[in-house]
Amino acid sequence: MIRIRLERRLERHWWQTVLTPTLSVLAAFAAGAIFLAIKGFDPITVYRELFKASFTSTYGITDSLTIAVPLILTGLAAAVVFRMNLFNIGAEGQLYLGAIFGSWAGLALTDGLPTILGVAVVLIAGAVGGALWAAPAAVFKAYFGTSEIISTLMLTFIALYLMRYLIFGSNSYWRDPESANFPQGKKIPTSARFELFSDTRLHWGLAFAIAIALLIWVLIRFTSLGFDMNVVGSSDSAARYAGIPVRRTVIIALLISGALGGLAGATEVAGRAYALDPNGLELGLGFTGIVVAALARYNPFAIILVATFLGGLRNAGVALQGLPGDRVPVEVSLMLQGAILLFAIGGEIFSHHRLSISRANPAVVT
Amino acid sequence: MNTKLPRGAFRRSMVAMAAIALIATACGGDDDTTEPAPETTAASTATTAAGADTTEAPGTDCQVIKAAFVYVGPIGDAGWTKKHDDGRKELEAALGDCVETSYLESVPEGAESEAVFDRLAREGNDVIFGTSFGYMDQMLAVAEKYPDVKFEHATGFKTSDNMSTYFGAAEEARYLSGMAAASVTESNQIGYVAAFPIPEVLRGINAFTLGAQRINPDVTVEVAWTSTWFDPVVEKEAAEALLNGGADVIAQHQDTPSAGEAAQTAGGYWVGYNDDMSRFAPDAWLTAPVWDWGPYYISVVEAIRDGSWVSEQYYGNMADGLVTLAPVADVVPQDVRDQIQTVQDEIIAGSFAPFTGPVNDQDGNEKVAAGEVPDLGTLLGMDYFVAGVIGSATG
Repeated sequence: MIRIRLERRLERHWWQTVLTPTLSVLAAFAAGAIFLAIKGFDPITVYRELFKASFTSTYGITDSLTIAVPLILTGLAAAVVFRMNLFNIGAEGQLYLGAIFGSWAGLALTDGLPTILGVAVVLIAGAVGGALWAAPAAVFKAYFGTSEIISTLMLTFIALYLMRYLIFGSNSYWRDPESANFPQGKKIPTSARFELFSDTRLHWGLAFAIAIALLIWVLIRFTSLGFDMNVVGSSDSAARYAGIPVRRTVIIALLISGALGGLAGATEVAGRAYALDPNGLELGLGFTGIVVAALARYNPFAIILVATFLGGLRNAGVALQGLPGDRVPVEVSLMLQGAILLFAIGGEIFSHHRLSISRANPAVVT
Repeated sequence: MNTKLPRGAFRRSMVAMAAIALIATACGGDDDTTEPAPETTAASTATTAAGADTTEAPGTDCQVIKAAFVYVGPIGDAGWTKKHDDGRKELEAALGDCVETSYLESVPEGAESEAVFDRLAREGNDVIFGTSFGYMDQMLAVAEKYPDVKFEHATGFKTSDNMSTYFGAAEEARYLSGMAAASVTESNQIGYVAAFPIPEVLRGINAFTLGAQRINPDVTVEVAWTSTWFDPVVEKEAAEALLNGGADVIAQHQDTPSAGEAAQTAGGYWVGYNDDMSRFAPDAWLTAPVWDWGPYYISVVEAIRDGSWVSEQYYGNMADGLVTLAPVADVVPQDVRDQIQTVQDEIIAGSFAPFTGPVNDQDGNEKVAAGEVPDLGTLLGMDYFVAGVIGSATG
């Protein structure tokens, strides 16, 4: 009798860190190719068009990068706490709160300000909104051990309905009184909007998001808070023994994560939507950030690359439908994204474990 | 980077990931009723009305107009988007080689749609139709960048030199469908599953209620808001809640037929929307207000071809055929069917309008005086429920 089991790897090499996500993506594309072939499409053509639509023309690249901006920030939101084994899966809700706070600040505070100040006001308000939304989960986690997975998820649904209520359900401050036919958000003044790069839709939020990634890298690598976060992530008891304030560190980490999610919402408001726009914000950008973080193995710089890659995938989704001849359903790109996550999780097993095959006593096998 | 994860943590991360995967699926929604795009050409749906004005023989050396359609849902939604796609096929059938159409489905509203409209304009389309309200600002922005491309926006209210809007008086058919609904209810309670508390939807509910009261003055119409145009699961749940509350007929302002499935399961009746949806719940089916976009699409493309296109706000109705009523089911008594036909003839002839006064709101305030007919502007801004509606007009 042959027994196959998973054994924990005792050591890991740097190349495994790069190889696993790469193989995950390739495996996902291979699985997608099988699906496409069954549906009668030529996978090579589809993938070539997907790449062409997202990464070859100026508009393709800039549109992909535009989608990457919020994904970088939600990716960071996930990465900064996931690496501590704290699973804030509510970046989606924190993004909504960031958009609510950011658009409020944009409407109320920025009229007449120079653009750079106006945008800063929106971003700061967004970060505060996101952090506030993560705060209950952080406190419950730190003091009562409540699962942050559940609490951040539940808060996401509350945030979703709050955002919809502000636009669709009430004559709130955010709602545009001019739009009688259909409820929509009031536009923030131009002083609160990111400048665009020439005549594309790409905005300076990209530079901002990259700067934030750099900042998070510095935080994790070079600050005592980052050190504390690493230790708490490895072992609570070791952290306590070392005199690190575990509760405080957990709370701060979750607040930072929430603030990053909130920034994603604020950059969407300042860079793309220019208003609290539920239809334009309910794109799953927060949840996709988790895929980004997982594929990037929580590395801030890798997050920028992965976010661009997934932004391109999303951007290409609609373009694929326009292929001459064959008509590829828009869901293909979403399916690929799901498959990538699935294989990333699968890859995780093999980066931490290896298969061991041995002869075994049949009686033991269950 | 800390790459060493303790075993317990790994297991936890698996749980989290599984949860995320589930959530992502649930939140991604929208795709479960998607059918692969059928590659049928227009032949089967070409109607006789479609080609009425078309006298030019297709296939000659006509100038080919490229028309692109952007849909908010999948063409397999059996409702709103399907009807627009039927219209596109009618257009192809009517103009043959003189028109080249393409469509993109499930394009989200809001900021992300701008890239889509921009790409379509760059790719050399002569006219781009956007069929959902939430594309308005994006279409307007792209229209400004491409003054030579015509933009046609359904349900919106912003226009420019090269952007028109189009929509129509569904309330006329809603009124007739209310008459059908009132003729079969035994509990005198009708449920209405509706998307958003906006004038278009309020107008429909009010017209439906007025029509129902014409047949049976004791009827009440209870409204359940869903905050979504397209979500089969939510629509069905809302219908079930209304049925559990005592309603035995369900009407809807939603894009899918799932409310009808709930009505059929509960042994009730159902007034659909957008299209003849009878096949989804044949036992419950009564009728539906139906859109026929084809003739409008044909007129737009022909106007572009002969250079007569101008920016306008088109509001069609039953008289010009944009709005129709699906055949009324046999469960509706013959005398009511006859009445519906009579009223429909009056509406088309212009001798009757659904909101002819007296119309009172829920609190008994007179909104339209006896014998008066409100003008279009008043109707387009409707913000109240008429007496007999149960629910809040502000959501």
